Amino acid sequence: MRKLIFALVAAVAAFAGPAKAENAVVKGVIEGFVKPVYSQFRSVAAQLSDDMETLCADQSPDKLAAVQSKFLTLVNAWSEAEIIRFGPVAEENRLERILFWPDRKSTGLKQVQAALADKDATATDPVTLKDKSVAMQGLGALEFVLFGTGSEALNEPGDPYRCAYGRAIAHNLADMATAIDEDWQDPAGIAQKWASFGAENPLYRTDQEAMTELFNVFVHGLEMVRDVRLNGFLGDRADDDKPKQAIYWRSGSTVISIKANLNGMRTLFDVSGLVGLLPAESQWISQSIGFEFDAGEVMLDRAAGPILEVLEDQDKRQALAVTRLITSHLSELFGVTLAGKLGLSAGFSSLDGD
Amino acid sequence: MRLIDRRDFMKAAGLAFAASLSPRRLHAMQQADAVFATAYQIKDGPCGVAVLSEDRKVLFTSPLPDRGHDVTYDPLTKCSVIFARRPGTFAIVFDHTGAVAPTTITSPTGRHFFGHGVFSPDGKLLYATENDYENAAGTIGIYDATNGFARIGEFPTHGMDPHEMLLLGDGRTLAIANGGIETHPDFGRAKLNLSTMKPSLVFVDRITGDLIERHEQPPELHQLSIRHMAVDHTGAVWFGCQHEGPSTERPALVGRARAGESFGLIEMPQDVLAGLRNYVGSIAANAEAGTIAVSSPQGNALVIIEAAGGRIVSTSRLAEVCGIAPDRSGFLATTGAGEIVDPDGGAKSAEQYAWDNHLSRIG
Repeated sequence: MRKLIFALVAAVAAFAGPAKAENAVVKGVIEGFVKPVYSQFRSVAAQLSDDMETLCADQSPDKLAAVQSKFLTLVNAWSEAEIIRFGPVAEENRLERILFWPDRKSTGLKQVQAALADKDATATDPVTLKDKSVAMQGLGALEFVLFGTGSEALNEPGDPYRCAYGRAIAHNLADMATAIDEDWQDPAGIAQKWASFGAENPLYRTDQEAMTELFNVFVHGLEMVRDVRLNGFLGDRADDDKPKQAIYWRSGSTVISIKANLNGMRTLFDVSGLVGLLPAESQWISQSIGFEFDAGEVMLDRAAGPILEVLEDQDKRQALAVTRLITSHLSELFGVTLAGKLGLSAGFSSLDGD
Repeated sequence: MRLIDRRDFMKAAGLAFAASLSPRRLHAMQQADAVFATAYQIKDGPCGVAVLSEDRKVLFTSPLPDRGHDVTYDPLTKCSVIFARRPGTFAIVFDHTGAVAPTTITSPTGRHFFGHGVFSPDGKLLYATENDYENAAGTIGIYDATNGFARIGEFPTHGMDPHEMLLLGDGRTLAIANGGIETHPDFGRAKLNLSTMKPSLVFVDRITGDLIERHEQPPELHQLSIRHMAVDHTGAVWFGCQHEGPSTERPALVGRARAGESFGLIEMPQDVLAGLRNYVGSIAANAEAGTIAVSSPQGNALVIIEAAGGRIVSTSRLAEVCGIAPDRSGFLATTGAGEIVDPDGGAKSAEQYAWDNHLSRIG
């Protein structure tokens, strides 16, 4: 199978010259997944920033509800995009500045609460906010502003500080989303480098390095969903659950986010065309992957709702436990079975930091 | 809860080890000139620890409950210890000559192993790098080898995420690489502090636990995690780094420190550095040859450096190379693809094995 990939690459290489070659799978992934999801994130972040302006001009229950609803849309868009954790989003600490989580010792929460209590003027200006602690400028901070203790103050005029801080966070998020989208759209940037490996390419010297980057999206993404996002709050038994350790628990969008993570990986797999590289006798791998993603979607639909309520409901909690099992199956299918058939290793000894 | 359940599962592991040492295997081991130990995972299957000969034979293997990481060895008692990969909580003491029954060590409540450790020169104490995860603080656990490896104390590493630790030639100074990355077992291997991480290399007196000196990366390189080390024939500590910043940055990855004297990264030709892809997985020294080996499984590269002048002696492409240990005038290397490669480049493929990050000479 590895031969087949090389054959496909060689066909393109004949036109591109020997020093570099285009990888059709990677090219398809960038055009069919990466650019669209980061464009969507940019677009929703800009809308939320506008909605915050509207709210701050005239604080009211309707306008707050509109912003809160847009926040959930933004969580959904980000959760699809964030599985691509390299490239522009890795520059300038953007990953942490967009989402500092888990905030295990509530460091971020305390900083946000202190800014609100002290009415810190440097937190209401996007220019000075972006140089403050990463925990004060992303989705976690905005969630507290919009849904946390004291957020009811946004229902009526009177105290403009909380809204101004939220507006600065939304503005900062929109700026980062714009920068990331522009970098992916740059014809000489990361998109070109990832899709066209070559000896002179500083990031991807070989076809295998480019393909490994793609595979690691699935392997790392599934590990993140299971080990970090689910295991972070879902115990082996209900007694061990830690609901307030769940991501986005305040806004009730924990399950929305996990579903979007898996949906992102599914879309990525579908547009990659990796199925086409498998011989007929190995098509079952792709069918199994589809089956597991289907099952995950059914389980997460069953578990819909704010996480504090989900964990109190035995059927819903069980659906999350099954989702955890499904992510393990998917890790095996991608990282071992599919990678093996395509002659790629999932980086056994190099996944991270050992 | 998960940590405790795994401990129960662990209790049987030591027994399996003893049973796997048949008389024939014992004989093979005693005949081999040099033997090496490494953790492995059978592809699609269970994990274990293996003993290899320098002529690239797998002398024996024994199962482990989960992935192991590094092996440390005491030449006096001939005891070796394999530590669990982080955030694991087990370590197994074994004697590859079969004279002593294996012992299982579990880290105490609130601590997990980071995968590395060292013996005191008399073999009576074992030191292990550990995570005090509720406080996000690195600790060294002290275990009494003369009393069933009971844990008898600990001291701080003055940094987070202590990874590899070495004992220097004076028999008293420990060099500890604080990787600087905060993790907590509630969140698997997720890195919790990348924007504020502060790796360091510290020298600590193992008798008093006192900090002797502490070196940090310069502020612009605060995301350059110091993780692995080797001592060369002059006593200098070589360290290998992994960059947690964006891949568009290509900082130097290898450095050298000498207690009381110096600390710094060394320059490498750009093409050699690019070949390491911001990730050094293991570093080893060959005292007789005066060379240092650096491996990168992400870059599929093995680089040999002359310790005295820092000159690059050779660069080899080797898929998923990580485990390296001094052997004769060069290095024996193992890979995630199952290859065992000797200093002359002779390779043997044990395809069912994925060799884990580290390879240690144990006699």
